[in-house]
Amino acid sequence: MSKRTHAAFVSPYDVREALERLEQDGFSTGDVEIRSSAPLDHDVFPERHAVHSRMPWMALTGAALGGLGLFSLVAWSSSVYPLPTGGMPIVAIPTTGVITFEGIAIGAILCTVATVLYECGLPGLWSAGTGPLDHHLADDHVLVSVTCDEGASTEWAAKALETARE
Amino acid sequence: MTVSARAATARSHEENLIKPLTAFRPKLFVGSLISGGVMALLFYSWGYQIFNDIGVAGINRPVFWGFYITNFVFWIGISHAGTLISAILRVTQAEWRRPITRCAEAITTFALMIGGLFPLIHLGRPWIFWYMVPIPTYRGIWPNFRSPLMWDIMAITTYLTGSLLYLYLPLIPDMAILRDRALKETPKTLRAFFFRIMAIGWRGTPQQWHSLEAGIKAMAVIIIPVAVSVHTIVSWDFAMAIQPMWHSTIFGPYFVVGAIYSGVAVLMVAMYLLRKGLGIGEYLSDKVFNNLGLLFLAFALLWGYFTFAEHLTVWYGNEHIERLVFNERIFGKYSGFFWTMMVTNVLIPLAILPFPKGRKPLGTAIVGLAVLVGMWIERYLIVVGTLSYTRLDYTVGTYAPSWTEMGIFVGSIGMFLFLYFVFVQTTPIVSIWEVREGHHLEVKAQRQALAASREEP
Repeated sequence: MSKRTHAAFVSPYDVREALERLEQDGFSTGDVEIRSSAPLDHDVFPERHAVHSRMPWMALTGAALGGLGLFSLVAWSSSVYPLPTGGMPIVAIPTTGVITFEGIAIGAILCTVATVLYECGLPGLWSAGTGPLDHHLADDHVLVSVTCDEGASTEWAAKALETARE
Repeated sequence: MTVSARAATARSHEENLIKPLTAFRPKLFVGSLISGGVMALLFYSWGYQIFNDIGVAGINRPVFWGFYITNFVFWIGISHAGTLISAILRVTQAEWRRPITRCAEAITTFALMIGGLFPLIHLGRPWIFWYMVPIPTYRGIWPNFRSPLMWDIMAITTYLTGSLLYLYLPLIPDMAILRDRALKETPKTLRAFFFRIMAIGWRGTPQQWHSLEAGIKAMAVIIIPVAVSVHTIVSWDFAMAIQPMWHSTIFGPYFVVGAIYSGVAVLMVAMYLLRKGLGIGEYLSDKVFNNLGLLFLAFALLWGYFTFAEHLTVWYGNEHIERLVFNERIFGKYSGFFWTMMVTNVLIPLAILPFPKGRKPLGTAIVGLAVLVGMWIERYLIVVGTLSYTRLDYTVGTYAPSWTEMGIFVGSIGMFLFLYFVFVQTTPIVSIWEVREGHHLEVKAQRQALAASREEP
């Protein structure tokens, strides 16, 4: 049966040290969860470079879909509406361009936000804020939680974290 | 100051930010009550107009656009305070942006909400607004997408949606901070429940931070052209019509510059009031006022340049109908408005802002108030000045607002203040996590400097 050990650190540099100790003790990245109330610096936590986001591609996809959607709406509604156009194009490109631009923007915005929520695993209303040390996040501490087996592993983890905190 | 001492000071400053959310503040409560009362005037006047018909407003032939459209343009202009400025500062990674982004973004959102009300009020029959929504109806017709008014709806809807989300995304980690505090101190209160809902389960893992930052960056890039498009399209409401002193190619950029100018003005006033009222001078510092004051000065010069260019070409062109409107504006019955506008928008800013002492909080707030008055007059002159003189002689007319229109205008100011008071009491007006991030970067720079000095022989 696994167990979680938590520790709160004042300085991100102490966390760095603790992580190194945990690594030496054989814990993998998947066992350790780091949480903070502000983004952690890339130099202190180079692991963050490994985190990927699909954001730019999703924003572009949303933009393409939004633009295409609104262009289609305008083109279709212009052609079905029985206006006498006197030989002029039914779908006037310059005026349609304005609407299409707004479609591109709203598509990109909505897709960006949806991607943020998806990648962050939000919303998850009742899961957060209930950990034993979560209130330390409000004080700008960094929380480290380690998943380990019952017994010796727990002691190792707690020891490593406690040493770093001191 | 040592790193730990700095951290302790930062924590005590944060307490100042959080106080309005956790403790009763009489000033804020009274402010909310008064502004709420003024806001009631808007709904009373609007209700009166709905029940007694649009005839109670002063708009009539040939001035069909009066106070309502003036206020629409004015509020949409003010909305350029926040999201656009915040986005530009984020994209350029200006470090001093951190304390001002949220109070600026809130201005945008509330100003847009109020600005968006005015076309509804102007309709007279607001319940038929849905005719503009592109859905199949029993009428079998569609909105005319070739009309600039339809572009307005699309642009404002996009900007409002974007601004709301752009305000909310960076708010999530702060709501999580407040949730974590509240769940420890006062777990079974409405406040804790509210913060919990607003934080939507934010945990602050590296993956979450990475995605959030990427999302904010993407939004900042997207929102800048949207903001520019909004006021350009508002200007096209006028410029696409062949009316004297409206049909101008520079109306788009002229409106955008004017919008940002009025936006910065309201931001300066809001920041001054927040600094005074909440005692958060350590965030809204003199440096921030100085930097924004310089931006303000640049826009004063730009606006003056555009106004000069616009009027010079009309005067030089000497077209009869254009000169008629021009003369009335410069020398005639609107000259009082025009010259007041020139004093408030050009003379006062140029007399105060070039000097470092003038770019202190009080100086910039005074200029901000003056510019707000001037920019409202500018919109009034554009709307009413031109419509009073159309191309046919027998349509010459004049316009005077009725008490209903004035009530709605004053009420809209009350509504803006009310929304802002409520916002200040429910969310941290300065982004806590962004300020913390800035603090961490400072610590890192200190450590690096220390390490470098130790390495030196």
